[in-house]
Amino acid sequence: MSSPILDGLAELDPEEGTARLTLDAELYPLHAVQAACYAFLDRCWLVVGKAGADRHTVSVTPKGGPASTDALRAAVGELANELLTCAYRQQITTNNRAVIEAITTRAIAGAMGPPSLEDLESFDFSEEPFEDPLGIAEQWEHKHGTSAPEEEPK
Amino acid sequence: MKELRFHKAIYPASAVDEAVRVFSPHAQIDRREEGEEWIVEVTAKAPARERRVAGELGNYALGLSLRDKVGG
Repeated sequence: MSSPILDGLAELDPEEGTARLTLDAELYPLHAVQAACYAFLDRCWLVVGKAGADRHTVSVTPKGGPASTDALRAAVGELANELLTCAYRQQITTNNRAVIEAITTRAIAGAMGPPSLEDLESFDFSEEPFEDPLGIAEQWEHKHGTSAPEEEPK
Repeated sequence: MKELRFHKAIYPASAVDEAVRVFSPHAQIDRREEGEEWIVEVTAKAPARERRVAGELGNYALGLSLRDKVGG
């Protein structure tokens, strides 16, 4: 007979020594589920499945003979934590993809070295360089109408 | 006999076939297709052996399906 734990996230079957998790595919994308299961391959036997279009299932069986209910419960709890970690990590990666790509592109462009004279000749300087709403690039004299303060002698 | 069900959307045929090939020396293993799933039946002399071979076969197929996804 199976008994639900973790607010119905998993059902334990102590006779078989197996637990079955049912996961919302929107909260736990397939790749996150597979990554979490991968981390448990040395401890458990796992089979990932589908229950309809919007649910994944994971069948978990701890290795090393029939597991006690406590051992089963502990394995499921740890897997549930790992699932949450992997799902959150994937969400962060998805959210930051544009930033990561921009930084990588700049790093690769920087590694290519300075532009050659031919590159500079073909460069279009007529465009506005960039927006400067705070006036950071503005000259001191233009901004304050006075001359820049002289540096104190060291 | 121990039965494993692998959903086709999660386990590519190549991963299941390779897992079956690797574990064939350890038990009688049959694979068939049923709707959206690959059905793998593992038969061995002892239930404990069946359970272990089936479990490790499932893990191996899962690892291969992930490797296929990341292009390793």
